[in-house]
Amino acid sequence: MSGERSGGRGRGGKKDDKDKNKGERPRGGFFRRRRVCKFCADKIDYINYKDVRLLTPFIPERGKIQPRRISGTCAKHQRALQTAISRARQLALIPYVTE
Amino acid sequence: MTQTRQYELVYIVSPDASEQTIAELHTQVEQIVHRFNGTLDKTENWGRRKLAYEIGKAREGTYVVETISGAGELMKEIDRRLRVTDAVIRHLIVRVDDDLRVADRRRSERKATQARRRTARGLPPEPLPSERRGDRDVMDSDDMSLEPEVQR
Repeated sequence: MSGERSGGRGRGGKKDDKDKNKGERPRGGFFRRRRVCKFCADKIDYINYKDVRLLTPFIPERGKIQPRRISGTCAKHQRALQTAISRARQLALIPYVTE
Repeated sequence: MTQTRQYELVYIVSPDASEQTIAELHTQVEQIVHRFNGTLDKTENWGRRKLAYEIGKAREGTYVVETISGAGELMKEIDRRLRVTDAVIRHLIVRVDDDLRVADRRRSERKATQARRRTARGLPPEPLPSERRGDRDVMDSDDMSLEPEVQR
């Protein structure tokens, strides 16, 4: 058992965190779900700026980039997402602003 | 001694341009690449696409993606040329080799970890298709356009 433990320590630690947040959910009245980073969960290593379908979920109606606190993206992937979105904007794949 | 790097060039050709102009632009790029001893790895024509916003007067354009290996000077020259070409309404050059290498390494690391853990549990190193979680299917279709990029 101990061998198994040490093998999966990294992942196990993360899972505990998630469970803690899940437990917090009903408290406070309003519904807030701690979201997991989409890119970590789906194991997307390279955020391709040409892949509009990948980027659109992170661009709300107004055309701004969705903040991390709402989308739940991790810091590393949010940085990569930022550059990907600004490149896609330059290529007119994604609007800068939408009225 | 200049280093060889991989770049991605995307340019948008004006909607008024004919097929011939697009082909000419491609050969122009090709010539510059050859002149600077680079290689043109891949060309992708996305065809006509609606633009997210107007560029000048254009509402749509033809997208062409080229993957080029070569020195920085080569890309500089291409950049300069595309800048003065009227038929090209927008272009973007991105250096991709580092990002792809990092993505590649992460992918192989993950695969190695998975294999190690699975063999420790007495399972075959590769997961069987039947073991995949249901939500993977949705994501796989999403991933389609990304896959060939990372595998290179």
